[in-house]
Amino acid sequence: MTDDDDLRARLRRADPAAALEPASPAQVAHLVEETMSRNTRRWALPVAAALVLLVGGAAWAATRPSAPQPVAAPASSASAPAATAGSVVLFTTGMQAKCREPEATRLAESADFAFEGTVQKIENGRVTLAVARVFRGSTVGQVEVAQEGESSETMLGSGKFEMGRDYLVSAAEGSVLICGYSGEADSIGLRELYEAAF
Amino acid sequence: MNVDSRRARFETLAPAVIDAVRRYLARRTDPATADDVLSETLLICWRRFDEMPAEHLPWAYGVARLCLANAERGQRRQFRLLARISRLDPPPQTVDGPAPADDDLAAALRRLRPEEAEILRLWAWEDLTPAGIAVVLGITANAASIRLHRAKEKLRKTMTVPGHEESTEGSRP
Repeated sequence: MTDDDDLRARLRRADPAAALEPASPAQVAHLVEETMSRNTRRWALPVAAALVLLVGGAAWAATRPSAPQPVAAPASSASAPAATAGSVVLFTTGMQAKCREPEATRLAESADFAFEGTVQKIENGRVTLAVARVFRGSTVGQVEVAQEGESSETMLGSGKFEMGRDYLVSAAEGSVLICGYSGEADSIGLRELYEAAF
Repeated sequence: MNVDSRRARFETLAPAVIDAVRRYLARRTDPATADDVLSETLLICWRRFDEMPAEHLPWAYGVARLCLANAERGQRRQFRLLARISRLDPPPQTVDGPAPADDDLAAALRRLRPEEAEILRLWAWEDLTPAGIAVVLGITANAASIRLHRAKEKLRKTMTVPGHEESTEGSRP
């Protein structure tokens, strides 16, 4: 027996978890099930993006630009609005989150759809943006967003869509990236971020 | 990988991870925080399941370590507020557990720097090799190996000279 073994044995005798009873199989099963269902219900963002961006005011589930019919993303409720041809429909949930500083490389990696657009209409909590430029993804004429929450503190600018204003918006897997990755087009640094990323 | 096989693989792996992380947390925090951090850790493991290396335990400990640090930051904030309001006594040590019979060891561990004590815990309690410790702490295996060696030396030295502060006093007749 070496000195190391002695030392380790001595430390182990002081292990506070030595007397910890193992979790029952039922507890384990419950925990596993809860973990997997929490993930699909509450986390719409892809894994890599979720870690860094985390959804703020708007975990927007969107139908994919290429989809002929709107299909509700996992996080969405059943009330997905019907899309007109050539448009994308997004909608929001009011989640809170923490953000870290946006990076162009992160945006480039995460976003599969990004555009610049002007708000044309806000009606019954649904915002319609006319697309001026598509940075990434298929070209569409307009994007609709169901803005359920009052505002998102993590969206640059005023925090929510307002009539007539220009916005830069990016999305991944049908969820809009906020936390400094989407917001008013004249927000400081946002356009530079888009130019660097795409 | 389709969704079902991902779920099936996670279900196979999860019990071992749960057991290990529960112990890891029981050694370092109170039961309520441990429960919270365990479910947070599992969620991250599930979300980042595809990144999980074959040696998954050190990786899971690493995730738990960061989640615990986050939780404790939150608690510290709450506590500072509470302390300002009611001028409470400082909170009890987080590493508590059943009263350790080995007072010498406990005192020696307390005298080490927190990082040194933690490396010894990872080695002795989580039973990790320097490579595993490196994954948990996000350092190189080489650095982990050197630090572990130094921490062991320091612990031994600290224990073999019990009460060395007083030992010079009253030693002469």
